Amino acid sequence: MRAGAIFLREARLAFAGGGGPAAPAAFFIASLTLAPLAIGQSQATLQAAGPGVICFAALLAVLQGAERLFGEDVADGTLETYGLSGLPLSVVALAKVLGTALATLWPLPLVGLGGGIAFGLPAEAAGMLALALAAAIPGLAFLVAIAAALSAGARRGGLVIALIAAPLAIPLMVFTASAGRAAGIGDAAASANLLLTCAVSLFVTALAPFAISAALKARLE
Amino acid sequence: MTLPDFDPLPLTVSDLSLERGGIPLISGLSLRVEAGEALVLLGRNGVGKTTFLRALSGVLRPASGDIRYGDVPAIEAAPAVCAFLGHDNALKPDESPRQSLAFWSKLSGMTANVPGAMAAMGLKALADRPSRRLSQGQKRRAALARILVQNRPVWLLDEPAAPLDADGREKLSLAVTAHLGRGGLVVAATHQALDWPDARIQELTR
Repeated sequence: MRAGAIFLREARLAFAGGGGPAAPAAFFIASLTLAPLAIGQSQATLQAAGPGVICFAALLAVLQGAERLFGEDVADGTLETYGLSGLPLSVVALAKVLGTALATLWPLPLVGLGGGIAFGLPAEAAGMLALALAAAIPGLAFLVAIAAALSAGARRGGLVIALIAAPLAIPLMVFTASAGRAAGIGDAAASANLLLTCAVSLFVTALAPFAISAALKARLE
Repeated sequence: MTLPDFDPLPLTVSDLSLERGGIPLISGLSLRVEAGEALVLLGRNGVGKTTFLRALSGVLRPASGDIRYGDVPAIEAAPAVCAFLGHDNALKPDESPRQSLAFWSKLSGMTANVPGAMAAMGLKALADRPSRRLSQGQKRRAALARILVQNRPVWLLDEPAAPLDADGREKLSLAVTAHLGRGGLVVAATHQALDWPDARIQELTR
């Protein structure tokens, strides 16, 4: 399968050049360690803030590697060669983002689980939050990839990526954090929020490759 | 490498005008390149050689006029028939030529001869060195080997020989001759003498 070749190459390159999952995981852990110092150490405050802070930090961790995603392919001529590979650019984008995201972002739900427990959430709530994060991360990765494709090759692309991706990430932020918060107070809305997270994430994953393809085509011209 | 011949696929450019960022570059250009023929584009810096090659690759829409491979417009045909070498080599710093060529060969849907392509460009000794540790000329050789493994009938080469030494230029010339012998065609933009036998010269002017 030709798309499979792109998937494997991107996963391999993520490890070879970018240290694989080390950078996003380290970034996520660092934010979660610093947040309580700013929030204050009251148990009740930390419990209440935990799910939201953890989701937000996960978004930052996903954003962290975004500039390289398409920026390098534009700069080194790879994008042109992909454009003439005979594969639709949407398929290239799907394989590329999945390959990179799976190689680099897989520890984030685990870090989220540890973070939830450290913030004093009940084990059940921390587990629900980790599940919701696992569901949200493909969607977040593709949202960020849309922004990365739109800004590929632009100067200060990283800033533009954050500005484009932040508003798009609102639904995933709301549902993911709500799942963890609801589970923390034993509210049945937790699983509803988890399902909504899955739905939004799937919706984004299904449509994003076409948006990315359109952005990259405009970039090629 | 004994790969089968290509089906003859002539390139026809008729009354082509191109512009870049609103500046007209090429106007009213018509030419035809037959299968088995090489066309070398000459012209001053900024005259539009790269823009012309990008139009031939179907990436850039002409302001007016028409580019066809056989009977099919370039925009539709190019992704299946063109191998494009731009200014940049499309190499990843952490990938060796062997890994990179294996990937592009897979992506081109061909079990093309990766060791053969490396030998043709004199890359044998560099096969497993990450490309961040290759010289400019060595990188260009690796990029040219990628054109070989893509196994497409139309080669569009932008300054293919710029960083190459004499040995590299000779290897390129041999590869081009072999490609033309299989019924392929080559369009190359250059400032250097390429010593390709029987290459036709097209001077581009404003």
